Amino acid sequence: MSGCHPKAALKGLAGCHTCGKVSPVTLGRCPRCGSHLHLRKPNSIHRTVAFMAAAAALYIPSHILPVMTMVELGTVERHTIIGGMMYFWESGAYPIAIVIFTASILIPFLKIGALAWLCAAATGHTHRKPERLGKLFWFTELLGRWSMIDIFVVGIMVSLVQVGNYMTVTPGPGALAFAGVVILTMFSAMSFEPRLLWDQLDGQSVPEETDCPHETI
Amino acid sequence: MSTASTPPQTAKPKIQRSTRWNRVWVVPIVALLLGAWLVYKNFASHGEMARVRFQTADGLAAGKTEVRCRSVRVGLVKKIQLAEDLQSVLVFIEFDPNESRLLRRGSRFWVVRPRLSPTEISGVGTLITGAYIEMDPGPENAERHTLFRGRETPPATSRNVDGLRLQLTSREAGSIIINSPVFYRGFEVGRIEDRKLSEDGNEVRFSAFIEQDYAKLVTENTRFWNVSGLQVSAGAGGIKLRTPSVQAIVSGGVSFGTPPPLKPSTPVANGTSFHLFDDEEAAEQSTFNPSFRFLLLFDQSVRGLDVGAPVEFRGLTVGRVSEVSINLIAESEDPRIPVMIEIDPSMMRSSIAQELGKPDSEFLQNAAKRGLRAALKTANLITGSMYVDLDYYPNLPQADVGTFAEFTTLPTTTAGLVHLEGKLTALLDKLQAVPLDTIVADLSAAAAEAKTTLASSRGALAEIEDAAASARRALDNPELNQLPADLRTTLDELRKSLTSVGPEGPVQGDLLRTLEELRASLRSLKGLTTTIDEKPNSLLFGRDSSGNPTPKAPRSSR
Repeated sequence: MSGCHPKAALKGLAGCHTCGKVSPVTLGRCPRCGSHLHLRKPNSIHRTVAFMAAAAALYIPSHILPVMTMVELGTVERHTIIGGMMYFWESGAYPIAIVIFTASILIPFLKIGALAWLCAAATGHTHRKPERLGKLFWFTELLGRWSMIDIFVVGIMVSLVQVGNYMTVTPGPGALAFAGVVILTMFSAMSFEPRLLWDQLDGQSVPEETDCPHETI
Repeated sequence: MSTASTPPQTAKPKIQRSTRWNRVWVVPIVALLLGAWLVYKNFASHGEMARVRFQTADGLAAGKTEVRCRSVRVGLVKKIQLAEDLQSVLVFIEFDPNESRLLRRGSRFWVVRPRLSPTEISGVGTLITGAYIEMDPGPENAERHTLFRGRETPPATSRNVDGLRLQLTSREAGSIIINSPVFYRGFEVGRIEDRKLSEDGNEVRFSAFIEQDYAKLVTENTRFWNVSGLQVSAGAGGIKLRTPSVQAIVSGGVSFGTPPPLKPSTPVANGTSFHLFDDEEAAEQSTFNPSFRFLLLFDQSVRGLDVGAPVEFRGLTVGRVSEVSINLIAESEDPRIPVMIEIDPSMMRSSIAQELGKPDSEFLQNAAKRGLRAALKTANLITGSMYVDLDYYPNLPQADVGTFAEFTTLPTTTAGLVHLEGKLTALLDKLQAVPLDTIVADLSAAAAEAKTTLASSRGALAEIEDAAASARRALDNPELNQLPADLRTTLDELRKSLTSVGPEGPVQGDLLRTLEELRASLRSLKGLTTTIDEKPNSLLFGRDSSGNPTPKAPRSSR
């Protein structure tokens, strides 16, 4: 990815976000599917950081608030994600505890951290190692969606375990926060424009046409 | 817009972009607010903590056990820990934010567990759901309070229920337990809420609750008594068996009422204290107001005379025996048994009551002169119980009202069985005094005399026999035997003569003929009299033809 290869952007060519057709960005719209044409995703860093910040804001409540309220024979039990993980760990179910820890605690955290790192790299605040950054971005997108396991579990429990007075499961406020974390990190990752990394690497900024107000989403 | 813009050109919009407001920043702000709100709702809005001290935390679990007021959740047990002295447990209760007004001085906490008592089964639901803490908030205007002593047993009624709350004191708790019913005329009007021993241990104190609707039934003259269990008593009035309702037999009970001489007066206020009598009789006797005390000295056994036995005047109860004790006249050498009686003036005529009230009453002196005596009489032959009877015995020697120590004494006599016993003894004594030996000697002499009399009477009998023999001889004479035959012939003749007079006899036929003739002549005589009657002159002019028209035959034809 050295600068010897000419960049399409420098020639005013943009790939369509929807259908992938390369056309001159001056057309404004893709001649095939009619989507807006951008050289780079507009406001990519802004959006990524905003979604990331929102995810980070919800990350703490999602772990200190109960995800699930279980009413079993009149006794009310509130379960947090960390509490559930501890329970499995203490009862000897280490694999499950590790899965929960990874999927629910570690991955969202790492994802936020990774996006922050990528944003920093894309704006030129950190050193340039594009190969590693690329892998990092790939992992971020790949693993991020698996964090929804917890939400799936809560959703299934709530819909299935409704046995009147004997046992009832209702979602807690933590589930809302946690779902928010996962969705926002996914939005954040989607908003990120990895090509900014390579632009940074090449040392030549792509002309920012995205600052046109009418083209921002 | 230009595809071949230079880097300085691109730098400008970057600066603009960073300064410009981007709508996407709404998302983190909303997320932050949402997260803060969720956290605040879960933690910052927590209510007040209260500490309740319990004997044991049996069935309680931190973070699980709920606190309820009238079965509505108002808080949650957060922590349970042992008290410093290890004698109790401290339960930390977190009240829901808007329920902290329930933390008032006087609030009561108790653990609802399954309970089985003679009167009810409660808390069955907690078998499945686990125990919970129920609370009864204190008075509305009480000050705030956060440290409470939990009750081990649930209170019978909630403090918020309107009604009359009374204190009852008794010597014995009997079978009255918490939740025992309070009856009025057999109708349940309240409950026993609590019972405990007084500080000095001399009495038992009950808290009774009377429902608001019946509170006015409790007046200052009301008496409370125990109706628990079966009561069998054998006293001067006979054998009594009392059975309250089945519920009261099982769980004990208290009844109240106003005994007859008293009238219901003003209703009492909350917290009034009453004495709880052992039974209805005791409650009735409590209305007894003794004003006069007299000492009776009995020269006989007082076995069967109990304290409380009635004192009657010719069958009317006027008082009771208050004490039977030799200690009443401890200093004296008198062998008689002292019995103290109490007289209630309300039970006799008011004029007499006034007379008795005077210090040295003429009335009593006069009465004693006229023969007023106190006597022990048997009230019940089976139980042998006795009572004191006052009556006039005019035939007895005169006696006076005396004084003994500080007491006024009434003269006594013996009566009833004891009297009879005395009479019998006297009779036996008299029998003993009879000279039986001389009587027996006289009797044997009389017997000898009788023997000689018998011998002479035997001679008389032999003479009678002779007389009888001569009589038989006379009867054997043949002339006497012929007498019947003669009699028969005489009778035959008599019959014959009677036959001639009878219907077949000749006399009868003659008589009939004569009578026939007489009838014919009478008939003709009747015709004569008729004629004379109709025509008196026929005697002179002869009989004429009758006036009836007689058909005449034509003359010519003749």
